[in-house]
Amino acid sequence: MTKHAKLLFLLIGVPVALQGANGASGIRFEEISRKAGISYTHHTRVYSGKSADVLRMFTSGGSSVAVGDYDNDGYDDVFLTDSDNGKPSHLLHNNGNLTFTDVTEKAGVGKGNDPISIVADALWFDYDNDGWQDLLIARFGTPILYHNERNGTFKDVSAASGLNKFGNTIAVVAFDYDNDGNLDLMFGNYFKPVNLLEYKTPNVLPNDLDNAVNGGGVTLWKGDGKGHFVETTEKAGFGKHTGWTLDIGHGDLNNDGFQDIYLACDYGTDRLFMNNGDGTFREVTEKAIGFDTKKGMNVDIADYDNDGLMDIYVTNITDEYMKECNMLWHNNGDGTFTDLSKETGTCMTLWGWGAKFGDFDNDGWQDLFVVNGLRSAGKDNYIPVLVNMITQPGIDFTDVNNWPSIGNMTWSGYQKKKLFRNLGSQSFKEISSEAGVDNDMDGRGIGVGDFDNDGTLDFYQSNADQPGLFYHGVTEKPGNWIELSLTGTKSNHDAIGARVTVKAGGLSLVREVNGGNGYSSQSTKRLHFGLGAAQKVDSVEIRWPSGLVERATVPINKISRIQEGLGLVRPVPTNHKGR
Amino acid sequence: MRKPILFAALLLALSSARADSAASHENALKALAAKDYTTALSEFETALASDPDNIEYGSEYRQAVIQATAYDRCIKFFEKLVADNPKSSNAELNFGFAYVDKIPASGTITQVILANTALTHFSKAIELKPSWIGYYTRGNSYLFWPKIFGRTPLGVADLEQAMKLQKQDNKKIYHVRAYVSLGDAYWKLDDLSRARETWTEGLALFPDNPQLKNRLSKEGDDLKNYIEDALDPNKRVDTNLREIWTDK
Repeated sequence: MTKHAKLLFLLIGVPVALQGANGASGIRFEEISRKAGISYTHHTRVYSGKSADVLRMFTSGGSSVAVGDYDNDGYDDVFLTDSDNGKPSHLLHNNGNLTFTDVTEKAGVGKGNDPISIVADALWFDYDNDGWQDLLIARFGTPILYHNERNGTFKDVSAASGLNKFGNTIAVVAFDYDNDGNLDLMFGNYFKPVNLLEYKTPNVLPNDLDNAVNGGGVTLWKGDGKGHFVETTEKAGFGKHTGWTLDIGHGDLNNDGFQDIYLACDYGTDRLFMNNGDGTFREVTEKAIGFDTKKGMNVDIADYDNDGLMDIYVTNITDEYMKECNMLWHNNGDGTFTDLSKETGTCMTLWGWGAKFGDFDNDGWQDLFVVNGLRSAGKDNYIPVLVNMITQPGIDFTDVNNWPSIGNMTWSGYQKKKLFRNLGSQSFKEISSEAGVDNDMDGRGIGVGDFDNDGTLDFYQSNADQPGLFYHGVTEKPGNWIELSLTGTKSNHDAIGARVTVKAGGLSLVREVNGGNGYSSQSTKRLHFGLGAAQKVDSVEIRWPSGLVERATVPINKISRIQEGLGLVRPVPTNHKGR
Repeated sequence: MRKPILFAALLLALSSARADSAASHENALKALAAKDYTTALSEFETALASDPDNIEYGSEYRQAVIQATAYDRCIKFFEKLVADNPKSSNAELNFGFAYVDKIPASGTITQVILANTALTHFSKAIELKPSWIGYYTRGNSYLFWPKIFGRTPLGVADLEQAMKLQKQDNKKIYHVRAYVSLGDAYWKLDDLSRARETWTEGLALFPDNPQLKNRLSKEGDDLKNYIEDALDPNKRVDTNLREIWTDK
């Protein structure tokens, strides 16, 4: 079948069991941040000097949420970043009843914003495979690595970690790129490595607004499983990338058992790197996706059409004045991807930021939530002012002093969020209003998890300079489900990179454990599968990063814990309320 | 006796330049038919260098450039052409179009810069020689700017001027364009009744025009989507000016 014929086949509808996916949506959420004690306001960094508000605007992306169970009580906890000088980030302990307790002070993880550093992202991962979630704070500066002391406190081990390189990091993911059982780190850096809080020359901004090559690129760090990391950026093949990286997504895109990398880059071309399986990567951008000039903001990777291949969703900017369209890269299975965002109805989300897949009604098809909005302020619009600058002949965009002050003007603000329900045949329906998530705040990250262990997904939306929102999933009559918490033994303990294929009710569902995909956020590492009306799971197959493939039998409507080589082990508390 | 000789020599030189220019144009068309873009572009450039105000050569050169995706070469060429021929209105017009031609091949922000530069050259063309094509082109260009930039009223003014000029002229096939665009401009200013009035007036003169028929058959979001699609900067605008010299 030719590529075009394949595409046509996809678009006219794949004849699979839809499990009622085309029926009326019952997806509902209730915003309970205040009731849950998780309403925290993020603050962007305030600069001093002539171009203070321009720099503040350019660095307004650091409102991040990281989801992880730091105390192993079976309930996912939440870490929220702040970015202004002296402002603490927050660790919120999940009490198991949809309330949270701020334990930042006791845990000792609030620091990071100081006169020369800005907190921008956070990541839970078990770097030493001891079974406890450690915490990395990514900064415009050097990162902070905390070791989990297993008693509710954390110890700063940054000095011994080797992670001492300055970077303007906006995104970080943990994954095991060489499948040696130890987690590695990739940092996505926005600006080139100059400290914006004490820059010597004003030429710190993009050299081209569609094809910039003077950004921070990425750095890759190989972990030894003992808390030490060595930079392998050049050796692994990432040294030539100098774009303005805003997000990193990893996943096994060619089913070879190794994690590949997609880089979403602002002001120009996204980059796709395939893992050679020998500790190096090869860039395949031109052949796989082509060169774009869009403003890449987010990467999430999932098999949205249940064809067994991981697809990629990237947000860009689509507004009245800039019509880029997002990209839903459908994996063609032959090393190429086709953007189906227009055809599937997921193209238009205004000034996009974070986007996450999740089966919010447990019908077996992964839905998609997208946040947006840059700056909601006064009634005057910054765009005409900005365009006056951009269109000046010979203007030097890199010079921060050439950018007009934004004052109290709005720039792509007050934008309604988008929730796309997956209808199961290469189409999505936008239902944010009826689902109760059409807020108009300046969204950044989305931390998805099942915070009350009831089998329906919830999420936290982080916002810039505004309080975050916590949405409890209250979907009426959701489908059956399973959740799997994986523990690696030979593989990394977090099982990041593990792939699970679940067969149930005529569907074949594939999920991978990821270490921080999605802009400014990390979702739960627990894998969630909606099963629709299926009353049992036909099979569960786990392909561990070590290469081991094993099968397990799991009960429906339960959270099961599976350990590499041992199968089902002690269960996680489940609060399933029934259909 | 000396003056007539000089005049005759000048006429001869001009006529020879025109002949050279026509020959280069012929060569360019042949090369283009053979998809030999390198030769075609060079020959077009030779033809234009001898006859810079020739709207036909300029337009055909740009269409060849689009096929060859040699946008920057084209811009550079016109930059020199207008510098060497500062009074050539049509060279300025084609210079503006050279930027427009590059827009669909560019990123969203570069598109804004190109569109703005194109307007500068369209204005210069009008300044040198006010004409229907000048006003129509600039007026239509303004319509591609989102409403937020407040350029639609400028588009209305230019398109009304183009309309005024065409009403003083014999009917030409390309006059229908002004009805379409002026109606779109009114629509963009939320004056739907005036828009429909303009399209209706156009349809009376050009009863087979599908663009006018489509606009008049649509309402609400359908009409909005149709016009927004027509004004999508990511889609290539037909900048072939063939109608100008085929319907004189």
